[in-house]
Parts: sequence; structure tokens; C-alpha cells
Amino acid sequence: MALSTSRTLLRSFASLSPFARCSNSTSYGDSLWSSEPRAIFKGGSYFLAQRKLSSTSVLSLGSIEALLQEWKLGFPSLSRALYCSTADFKKNELLELQEVEKVLSDVRADNVKVIPVQKHCAWADFMVIATGRSTWHVKNIAQALIYKVKQKQKGAQRLMLPSVEGQEGGKWIVIDSGKVVVHALDEKARDYYSLESLWTTGTSEKEPIQDLEKALVKIRRKNNSKKQAKKSA
Amino acid sequence: MAATFASKCSRVGRSLWGGLGNNLSGLLSASHETACNHFLSQQQRTFIQMRTVLKVVDNSGAKKVMCIQALKGKKGARLGDTIIASVKEAYPNGKVKKGKVVYGVVVRAAMQRGRCDGSEVKFDDNAVVLVDKQGQPIGTRVFGPVPHELRQKKHVKILSLAGHIA
Repeated sequence: MALSTSRTLLRSFASLSPFARCSNSTSYGDSLWSSEPRAIFKGGSYFLAQRKLSSTSVLSLGSIEALLQEWKLGFPSLSRALYCSTADFKKNELLELQEVEKVLSDVRADNVKVIPVQKHCAWADFMVIATGRSTWHVKNIAQALIYKVKQKQKGAQRLMLPSVEGQEGGKWIVIDSGKVVVHALDEKARDYYSLESLWTTGTSEKEPIQDLEKALVKIRRKNNSKKQAKKSA
Repeated sequence: MAATFASKCSRVGRSLWGGLGNNLSGLLSASHETACNHFLSQQQRTFIQMRTVLKVVDNSGAKKVMCIQALKGKKGARLGDTIIASVKEAYPNGKVKKGKVVYGVVVRAAMQRGRCDGSEVKFDDNAVVLVDKQGQPIGTRVFGPVPHELRQKKHVKILSLAGHIA
């Protein structure tokens, strides 16, 4: 059965795009007040969709070019989004790649791998995988990253923290900060899920799909039979 | 029942693994704006509730599960919600066996779900990914498209295991 989705409005698929969202409280029990969340989906050439997300992780912002592009398209509901985005524009992103690497090396996480997934992942730019020696170590990695984010935002009125999943059982913790998604696993989980093999083969998986489109084109078969074709009178 | 309209409408009309099919009571879903205006071929999709059979789209070993409880929501579960289900059909050597009670996250639902930009997304079938109580996926790969709503619902793990994101 073919699986398909149908939508009422067109939606753009961004090959790589940072979204801007504001977060709610995380599982650490911080009571944060989140500003009205919204996101701008930087799209392809033809469409832009505006998103409002209630409890999500904070992500980075679009560039000035994205804003100008949205103005040019004359999307009416973007004015509200633009207000928030220009306010957020001066703030930094939540977690950048270099900072993540530094924190992970401070915590002494094993086997840190950074995978750029911009090409085959529309929702993230980098995936960082780190291994912890025990569940306590894995939780510690997550806490160290959150602490780093809090330090970055010291003195700000509202704290925007990345979303953390899997904090209770310390086997696989995902920290989603928009462009950069950090996975902290322990060794058994890493072998079990084998995330690198999933994402590094992502590019090779895309190519056969393109050939499939050519394959669906109907081609007239070559008639190599020695039988003489019947000629209708 | 053959819809004599365009093929687009006939696809909207019939689905094998729908929820409970036509619900003629006043249970209308969130948004009422649909592109297809042929009222004869429109089918009223509803929530995922008890006795709903869903397809399993990971490699955990199960094939079909039947929902026995929707964890959140009085009327039922929607796209991105967690359900408790019982495995009805399974592959012979898999991590879950028939009859086991498992948790699952709905990744595809026939009922439309509104997005914040006003659009709606709906799929042709109801599909679920099995997780354990802490939210860890039991399988290691997810097949088929999964929507973006999972990110908001804090199911980034399933998103990262998925191949195609709708």
C-alpha cells in the first residue's frame, strides 16, 4: 500500500535550515517563562511556512536574507513572526558545534563523532554522538551541556534551554538544540542502535531513489525475436 | 464502492487501516478546511482508540498491534501521542512476541493533524513505533515517512532513527 501524505497548503522542504523556536521548561524542573514560540521555516524558492510550536527546543535563527526573502514573497502572516525573529536575531544560537566539542572533551566522553547531516536531514545540521562509560556518566554529559547553555545565557531575562529526552533512564539521552543534536549513549546502546551506519549511509540511500524516477519511465522494449511480425493487410 | 471522481478523491475515500471509519456523530476534528470539496468521497477520520489496529513500522518484530489505551486524551490518541497496545501479530524471531503489552508512539495517523501554519497533515494508514516505558524505541530502524510533529512531542529519538521525514 502506498503511504502518502496529503496537505491542504503547500509546504516547503528545506534542505538545510535553522528554525527559530522558543522552549518551555525542561525536565530539570526549572520554571521558565517562555516567550511566545514561533519559528520561521526557511524554505526553497517557492514557499515559506510559519510555525508556532508550544513546547520545543530553541533553535537558531534565519539570516537576514531569509527575512528579506519572506518579505518579497509577501506572506501576510509573517509580520508577526518577523517581529519575534528580529528580537531573537541578536541572540546567539543555543549550542554551537565548537562549544559542544569542548564540553564533551571536558567531560571526557568517549568516541565523540560529529556527522554533518545537512544534505539528507532537513531538521538538523550536525549530529554529535558521544559515549558514556556508565549511566551516571551519560547523565553527566547531558547536564554539562545544559550547564554550558545556562552559562551562555547568564543575565538574560528568559532562559531558553534545549530539550532533553531520556533523562530518567540513562541509556540514551538526546539534547536537541536546533542545528546541533547531541546523542549521549552508553556503549551497549551505541552498538544496538548503530546511529553512524544510519546517517553515513544516508547519502548513498538517496541516490537509488533518484534512479527509481528514471526507472518508472516507460521504455519501449526492443524486439529481438526472430519471428516475423505479422503484417495486417 | 468506486468513487467516480478523480483518483485523488478516491484515495481520500477508502483506507484499510482507518480508525473507526465513518463517525457520524458530532465528533468533528480540529480543522474544517479541506481541499477536496467532493463531499461524497470524504471520509470522517477519527482518533486512535481502544480496539484500533495499527501497523508497526520498526524492526522490533511485531507486525500489528491493537490499541488498548490511549494515554492522553479523552477521545483517543492522535499523531505523536503514546498508546498502550497489545501485539496481535508478530514475526517469528523478533524482540516482541504475540500477546505482549507494549507502549507505542503513533507516527502516522489517518486523522488529520493541524500544524501551526494552518496546514494539515494526514496519512493513508495508522502506524506506530514500539517503545518501552521510558520512551526508548525497541527497534533500531523506522520505516516509512514520519512527521515533524514528533520533534515537538519530544520523540527526537524516533526522528533520528527514521529515514524519511514528512
